Amino acid sequence: MRQRKRKTRPAKPALKAKWRTNIDDHPIGLAWSPDGKTLAVAAVSGPITLFHGADGSVEHKLPGHALDTMAISWHKDSRLLASVGQDGKVRLWDAETGKQRSEMAGGASWVERVAFSPVGDYLVSAAGRKLRLWSASGELIREYTDANSTITDIKWRYDGRQFAISAYNGVVLYDPAKAEPLRRFEWQGSTLTLEWSPDGKYIATGDQDSTVHFWIADNGNDLQMWGYETKVLELAWSFNSRYLATGGGTQVVIWDCSGKGPANTQPNMLEGHQHLIKHLQFQRQGMLLASGGNDGMLAIWKVRKKKAALLADAMFKAPIASVAWSPDDRRIAVSDESGALSIAAVRRL
Amino acid sequence: MMNTVETRVPVTVLTGFLGSGKTTLLNRILTENHGKKIAVIENEFGEVGIDNDLVIGAEEEIFEMNNGCICCTVRGDLIRILGHLMKRRDKFDYIMVETTGMADPGPVAQTFYVDDDMQQKLHLDAIVTLVDAKHIWEHIDDSDEAKEQVAFADVILLNKIDLVAPEDLEKLEARIKSMNSMAKIYRSRDALVEMDKILNVGGFNLDRALEIDPKFMEPEYPFEWSGIYQLNTGTYEWVMGEGPDPAMGAAILPLANTGLAAQEATLMDAVLTFSEDEQVVEAGGIIRLGKGQHNQLVLNENGDTVFSFAIQKAGYYMLFTEHHPDEFDARLRGEESILEPLEDREYKPDHEHDEEVTSVGITLPGDLQLEKLNGWLSQLLRDQGQDIFRMKGVLSVRGWDQRYVFQGVHMLFDGRPDRPWENEPRQNKMIFIGRNLDRAALENGFRECLAS
Repeated sequence: MRQRKRKTRPAKPALKAKWRTNIDDHPIGLAWSPDGKTLAVAAVSGPITLFHGADGSVEHKLPGHALDTMAISWHKDSRLLASVGQDGKVRLWDAETGKQRSEMAGGASWVERVAFSPVGDYLVSAAGRKLRLWSASGELIREYTDANSTITDIKWRYDGRQFAISAYNGVVLYDPAKAEPLRRFEWQGSTLTLEWSPDGKYIATGDQDSTVHFWIADNGNDLQMWGYETKVLELAWSFNSRYLATGGGTQVVIWDCSGKGPANTQPNMLEGHQHLIKHLQFQRQGMLLASGGNDGMLAIWKVRKKKAALLADAMFKAPIASVAWSPDDRRIAVSDESGALSIAAVRRL
Repeated sequence: MMNTVETRVPVTVLTGFLGSGKTTLLNRILTENHGKKIAVIENEFGEVGIDNDLVIGAEEEIFEMNNGCICCTVRGDLIRILGHLMKRRDKFDYIMVETTGMADPGPVAQTFYVDDDMQQKLHLDAIVTLVDAKHIWEHIDDSDEAKEQVAFADVILLNKIDLVAPEDLEKLEARIKSMNSMAKIYRSRDALVEMDKILNVGGFNLDRALEIDPKFMEPEYPFEWSGIYQLNTGTYEWVMGEGPDPAMGAAILPLANTGLAAQEATLMDAVLTFSEDEQVVEAGGIIRLGKGQHNQLVLNENGDTVFSFAIQKAGYYMLFTEHHPDEFDARLRGEESILEPLEDREYKPDHEHDEEVTSVGITLPGDLQLEKLNGWLSQLLRDQGQDIFRMKGVLSVRGWDQRYVFQGVHMLFDGRPDRPWENEPRQNKMIFIGRNLDRAALENGFRECLAS
């Protein structure tokens, strides 16, 4: 009798939860401190909790903003956390003591965006059309001429020498040392979000009219990608600037920017979500992509030239509200809209 | 897993010119004990909480899309504010969006159809328009915004009625009905209205609109009267006395039988016939019979005028006249006596105003073929989407046990199966509200969608 050799299928690498908690509110932001030690979680109703990254113990509970917190951003030294909210304020918190260091006026009742520069010298805030540049300690350096419309996003270039804002009518590029914009990338539509490629070559945008744009930062050329199911709010670049992952539907759409770029190429489409994808994030130094959807699924994909592979998935009870890789890429923080927060270890894959 | 039960929060959009009483109404809504937790999005306020409720300020940001199509134009401020509002733990039962006096209701309404997040979490319950009964006359003739606010409305509140004479109010209401026949119209002073007239009214609910004013579905015809006669072969005379006009349009069309379906078919033929160029028939002349023969009967200056026609095939005929025969003391004379119609019917005359903005309501018995309907609607919306403000319907689709209900804003629409027909006679009702609508073309197009 011949013994049939049993094929052993490698076990699907599962996400192993390190710790779990529930903030009992809709989390609007998850942000690891750059040193990876602290995870800041902002709840829509205002409070910001600083969790110890390793075990989930609460380091501090910051009051945040009385009328809803809208965004948070870490300073590169991991000591300062900036937050903005519907009380019209930009606040700077000392993550070590849990005390507020500064409180600044954002310029309008809803301050929606805030971003520390990656080198730590500046902070930019946006409230409606008002754009303000601050020193890292909260002194106002400049108020720019009002944007055409409410500013929807602010992102710094990798070296902190430029930042870009998006609004209705496209993208505006700034040098923090100059009062006037460097360049405008115009599009007659509502640009909702932007992401610099890590090498600073492209600025990708997601738009209300279901398009994705690749603006070439140097010359302002624009590649438009049409055909998305919905508006596009989800953009993520791989660390090597080769792939841009986009949402705007139930499939993850991945553009390959190597060679001559994504023009006239067919993107890879990743199927698996049952409902709209709401969050995409690449690892900082690896090729794993996390996607979170309205179906409550978190999926981890390995992105490569041929079709990406689904490596692991996990189901949450409510739509995914936030996803954040730890700075060392070994953990992923995920929260759903009910407030469930889970920090999982990702095995090296 | 995901909850599939309807959990969407209803939204009422409140429009109206400055001074029409929107703020008074909003204050009423916020202070009245209706047991609802309401968030109000206004133009001027910052975010303030009032007991249970919340008032949020909005900047009016209209986002046109690159293709320049107004049907994709949405309100970015609403997407942002409502999106954020829906994340809050203290969930609201109800959302009111107030627009400025000059706002175009289109982009506001479209926001709830075009944006996926909005569509998932919210549904547009109704557009409520406040009209200042005294001052509307200053705008209604030349302001596109005023016309559009009336045209888009599901509910119209004629406010400040204490400032106008009753006959002016009647005139105003008639005028508004001629523009938007599907809206429910209420009268108020100091914006005093029962909450259930404006909240949770279900703009979708066509049945309710019909209950309130069953006549509003009745289309307008280019004639005011028809009579059914059973005629044998022979010669007949149509005798007219002096009347208010020196001439009158008329058509005589064969009728297959006296059943309702046959009457409807002949009625359609008559509408088409009256849209043809009229052919003058001098006094004493012969009236031409049949489809496409639009006779213009010219009367003598004094006394009776006699026209004649011959019937070669005995049967039922339907005579359509531009005016009521009584106005001319007109009668049909057979070889022996005056003939009385077996049945006659009066039609609502065309609008007195030649409104740019009108409603067209169409009722058709029978079942529709879905593919034909889709084809027709998409063509129609491609060609005329900008001019069709609102569209609603209850349809009988072949092969479906349930009624299909839908409503739309410009080119966007939202439809779903509703309750089963059961014993109710299956028929189709559709209303269009818009600018420069061509009733005959709409009726024809809709009829073409019937399953053969």
